[in-house]
Amino acid sequence: MATIGHNNLNAKLVGPSTPFRFPLFLSQYFVSDDLFLSSFRQVLLGDMGAGKSSLVLRFVKGQFLEFQESTIGAAFFSQTLAVNDATVKFEIWDTAGQERYHSLAPMYYRGAAAAIIVYDITSLDSFTRAKKWVQELQKQGNPNMVMALAGNKADLEDKRKVTAEEARVYAEENGLFFMETSAKTASNVNDIFYEIAKRLPRAQPAQNPTGMVLVDRPAEGTRGASCCS
Amino acid sequence: MYGTKSKIDLAFEYQSQVAVLRPSIHSRRANLTVKFQDLYGFTVEGNVDDVNVLNEVREKVRQQGRVWWALEASKGANWYLHTTIGQSSALTSSLKFSALTNAITLKKLIRKGIPPVLRPKIWFSLSGAAKKKSTVPDSYYDDLTKAVDGKVTPATRQIDHVRSSPFSFHDHRTQLGLVLNSIKFLYYGSGHQGPSGLFGCLLFNKCLQDLPRTFPGHPWLDTPEGHAALRRVLVAYSFRDSDVGYCQGLNYVAALLLLVMKTEEDAFWMLAVLLENVLVNDCYTNNLSGCHVEQRVFKDLLAKKCPRIASHLESLEFDVSLVATEWFLCLFSKSLPSETTLRVWDVIFNEGAKVIFNVALAIFKMKEDELILTHHVGEVINILQTTTHHLFDPDDLLTVAFDKIGSMTTNTISKQRKKQEPEVMKELDQRIRRLNSLRTDDK
Repeated sequence: MATIGHNNLNAKLVGPSTPFRFPLFLSQYFVSDDLFLSSFRQVLLGDMGAGKSSLVLRFVKGQFLEFQESTIGAAFFSQTLAVNDATVKFEIWDTAGQERYHSLAPMYYRGAAAAIIVYDITSLDSFTRAKKWVQELQKQGNPNMVMALAGNKADLEDKRKVTAEEARVYAEENGLFFMETSAKTASNVNDIFYEIAKRLPRAQPAQNPTGMVLVDRPAEGTRGASCCS
Repeated sequence: MYGTKSKIDLAFEYQSQVAVLRPSIHSRRANLTVKFQDLYGFTVEGNVDDVNVLNEVREKVRQQGRVWWALEASKGANWYLHTTIGQSSALTSSLKFSALTNAITLKKLIRKGIPPVLRPKIWFSLSGAAKKKSTVPDSYYDDLTKAVDGKVTPATRQIDHVRSSPFSFHDHRTQLGLVLNSIKFLYYGSGHQGPSGLFGCLLFNKCLQDLPRTFPGHPWLDTPEGHAALRRVLVAYSFRDSDVGYCQGLNYVAALLLLVMKTEEDAFWMLAVLLENVLVNDCYTNNLSGCHVEQRVFKDLLAKKCPRIASHLESLEFDVSLVATEWFLCLFSKSLPSETTLRVWDVIFNEGAKVIFNVALAIFKMKEDELILTHHVGEVINILQTTTHHLFDPDDLLTVAFDKIGSMTTNTISKQRKKQEPEVMKELDQRIRRLNSLRTDDK
């Protein structure tokens, strides 16, 4: 995890890896999401093999695996990010990409505050799929959803099929922000999550009405919440 | 291409040596983690307790083996096949009685686990795979794999054409239907003129991506030989059932079947019997409707069997299918340690798909006290994942699944499914229509 944060970011990751822990005996005084920690549900959508799981793994654990196990259903991760004076906790649903898993997606994007739609810059098909996801979210998702378009595998320049320009224009027309990322080299990975965090309205209530989280719960909260399925 | 089979057998010899956790299983108990291999070659990262548990499990497996050998010795090698009372009334009452006692003995015995060496043989007969295989010519699997291997037909050229332009999923499926028809004609009509090389490639591309992504790091599955075997099984099945084709999730199931059954052909037939006879219909087809049905049945069952958990999770707005979908589609192979997964499969092949519900409910039930204290979705998932990944002792899980959940018959489950089906179909249908209207709006 030490590899996280070598990007030039204002954001400081305060995850399981940082030595600082809010003193447990004080944590009971900070039970409100609004005061200290906002938690947001975020979903990753995109074609099979576009690199959704790899992006999350890079962001949450600072790792990259050449062959990431294919995701079935969806996998859950969480990561906490410090943005300026606020702390944002992401609850990330990383979904399965195969077309037929599409029918499960609403379960994950329903109520999500943010979405990253991922395509593979070396595959036109995956860009087409990404556009379909954008369309679906615009019609079916949370109207205030912050949407990001990620052109992943940016390290494979020589196999590029989708130009950055084309994607940028599309993103602008549709009110998304766009970045080309590489889970492999870590390029823009933290940045895209950080950018989302900045755009999330701070006053937006947390997903779970009952989600009054103690700020620090070493036993469960942050430590193991990243998953590996 | 079939020469690899003997190598598979060779590759299995190391199995008898040691035990391990899967690469996807990360120990949460930091610091003192050790890596080792489990009975099926998966690399497990665990702490010292986990290693001890696995050693105990290995000893239990050995003891269980002795019980099975003793039974074979007293009742004959294939005693477990004589559990159904034949239709012929000529059976004497003593034979009927012995069939009945065999059935009862077998059920109990299988819940305690089939020894790994006997699994291929016993799964193959009890699941109905042997019967299924006996209805087609012996060369079926070989013919099928040969037929789908690298030849070009007019239909595949069409596919090639489709592939060169961006195509939608629905075009893809239509083409797929065409090709499959031509394959059926070629296969059954004019002998062994192999069809469909390019079509195969198309489908392979999907599977191919998934081959190295199926239990990466496994000493046999994650080798060119393992990939090739898995690909042949998956592709062959995709041709057998065009509605299923290839569905992610099946890669894990087929991989584990390969490890257990040891030959591709037997793994193929196990996959066929699983999808065609054991599991609910349409679990893996087009929009996974069968899986949606199962999830609803499961939700209802949880409310009935574990009401405290169900109502607490509802208050957290936690939908159990967020975690259970993967359990049902991969039959726990991505969540439970390998021997535990296979113990669950032992019972599935003898008692049917209802067992999946027993086991899924048991996972929740085991952690009832912790689950009802959670405040957050993340905590719930964390508890369930940690639990499943550390269930190294299959008996811990199966005791709860069969003794503490209360009995559920296949009949009850079928009724529940019938009840849920119309609603699921209606919702899926509405969704497709909404999406289609989105797309036409766009044009």
